[in-house]
Amino acid sequence: MTNPLTLYVPIKQDDASQKIAQTVHDTFVATVKAGLDSSEIVHYARVSLIPNASGEGINALMLMTEFDGPMNPYLKFFWDNPGTQFAFSTIAGIALTPPNPPVKDLTGFENFINNNNLNEAGDMYAAYPQTVKEIEKAFSKEKAH
Amino acid sequence: MPATNSSQPDKNNVQGMIMRGYTHPWSCHLIFKFATQPGAKEFIKTILPYVQSAADWGDNKPEIMLNIGFTFTGLKLVSKLTTSDLAGFPPTFKQGPASAGSQQSLNDFGTSAPNTWVFGQTGKQVDCVVHVYGMDEPALNKLVKIVADAAVAGGLTEYLPIANGTKRLEEYATVPRNSIHFGYLDGIDQPALGWGSPSDPADLSAFLIGYPNKTSQPGPSYGNAGIFAKDGCYNAFRMLYQDVNVFDTFLETNAKAIAPKIGKSVEDTIAWLAAKLNGRWLNGSPLELSPDAPDPKTSHATAFGYSGDTTGMKCPFAAHNRVANPRDEELSEQGPPPRLIRRGMAYGQPFNSKTASEDRGLIGLFLCGSLSNQFELLYSWINTTNFSNLFPSQQGQDALIANRSMPGADTSFTIPTPAGPVEIESLPQFVVARGTAYCILPGISTLKSIVE
Ligand code: HEM
Repeated sequence: MTNPLTLYVPIKQDDASQKIAQTVHDTFVATVKAGLDSSEIVHYARVSLIPNASGEGINALMLMTEFDGPMNPYLKFFWDNPGTQFAFSTIAGIALTPPNPPVKDLTGFENFINNNNLNEAGDMYAAYPQTVKEIEKAFSKEKAH
Repeated sequence: MPATNSSQPDKNNVQGMIMRGYTHPWSCHLIFKFATQPGAKEFIKTILPYVQSAADWGDNKPEIMLNIGFTFTGLKLVSKLTTSDLAGFPPTFKQGPASAGSQQSLNDFGTSAPNTWVFGQTGKQVDCVVHVYGMDEPALNKLVKIVADAAVAGGLTEYLPIANGTKRLEEYATVPRNSIHFGYLDGIDQPALGWGSPSDPADLSAFLIGYPNKTSQPGPSYGNAGIFAKDGCYNAFRMLYQDVNVFDTFLETNAKAIAPKIGKSVEDTIAWLAAKLNGRWLNGSPLELSPDAPDPKTSHATAFGYSGDTTGMKCPFAAHNRVANPRDEELSEQGPPPRLIRRGMAYGQPFNSKTASEDRGLIGLFLCGSLSNQFELLYSWINTTNFSNLFPSQQGQDALIANRSMPGADTSFTIPTPAGPVEIESLPQFVVARGTAYCILPGISTLKSIVE
């Protein structure tokens, strides 16, 4: 079953934090690609920058992803991967409300993700039930023929 | 300040069942909801002298003893931890087994749905589980009475999960010992619980909180929550009904059809099919070592792997044991497979025409340092065997215990044989969840600090 994660993190308004948020957005795909590729459970992942109501600056950072199976058991693999750990730690570092407890270990990371996730399984529409692995397998077979 | 160091745990401070499998033939598992903090503390104070540690008891095997676990709600009520301290516990423990997050792994659909549970669902909150052990029935009853009386005095509500809320969850002393209701021998393989080898997934670091290493970091390990949890271990406590009638009927019906194909008698095919569902024969012999017939010499064998059996010809990929401990199987993710310490036992009388309608099954005690990375990860593999890219179907299920009502589940079961695959179109529901509680079994100094 495919499940959603919508990580919504309002961020600090100082220049440095705003710049970091922009960099997280601009480098997101390159930073997490290896980790997400090797996980073979993530269908899509993207970061959006939510603008302030005034139109100036960034209010919040939102990471949206759809993945196969349960979330919490697989967070360890993202925490253990240097690329995805860096991306999440950077986001936690510029959060307007710093994570409490701070993200120092896997448990802290699990709490950060759970506390800022806006979606549950039932919230999401999916056009197909196949997993990333099944889709990849089906198409790699086709290639071989 | 991390509440961790690399030193050895003090066995006097660790609750006994974590580090050793008790051989007391009688046990009872009492499930409570607290009413008030003073009442809960008084209760704990009364039963504290009976708590068994992991220290060696030498020749003085205790006649009676107990261990105590708290769920997050229970811990919140009795501990002195602040809201901010409590936030440091892992989300899976805090949210509990009926939560949307945990249900992504447990997939308790249909007859197992949390709203049918006799404990652990909304309105049936569990705060504390007390595991009482006795050398004989009178000894057990004596300590159960002490606990039950203390509960009444402390204003606790007790859940009686058997016979429409009239009986406690009590072990049925099986003969032979360690056999469970479908007739299999259980309790054979357990993590070695060695100490000091960071690459060993069965190392005690993966189970005991406060001794993180490179592969396992059971939490919380910081601040006041870390101090409170040190030397503790989580227990996924699960009451699992076993439908022996459905199981036996399944074996008999299918064996008749399969016997001619594999050239065995119907009776031998029943035993063969039961072994293929589990990965071990009823006597315990692993299919990897004894693929053709059970062998008393291998009935307790634990030294084997699956990597040489890439077609599932000896042991099907979806056999319960191959899923629950894939051993040397190539996994989709890096790292060693998660392990669990199993301290469960059977409840309810054996199935026969007179007892058919009675409740029976497994009192599941699944111990781990991380409920999400060990218990729930394995459960998600049980419901969707997607943990190895080698497997032909990523949507197949554990043949013995998976939830068949899970949306999109592939409930078929394929048994490779030299004469071609035996295909079972749809496996029935053999096991039904009746209740679940995620507990922490705190260190003994922590238990004492609660009542001080
Ligand atoms: C009523 C339900 C269940 C039944 C009838 C059952 C049956 C068995 C049997 C017969 C064995 C082989 C004996 C042994 O290796 O000790 C076994 C092993 C095992 N089971 Fe279960 N089980 C049940 C539930 C579960 C659950 C819920 C889990 C985990 C979430 C689990 C995890 C394991 C593990 C880890 C092993 C050891 C495998 C190995 O090391 O090779 N079991 N089970």
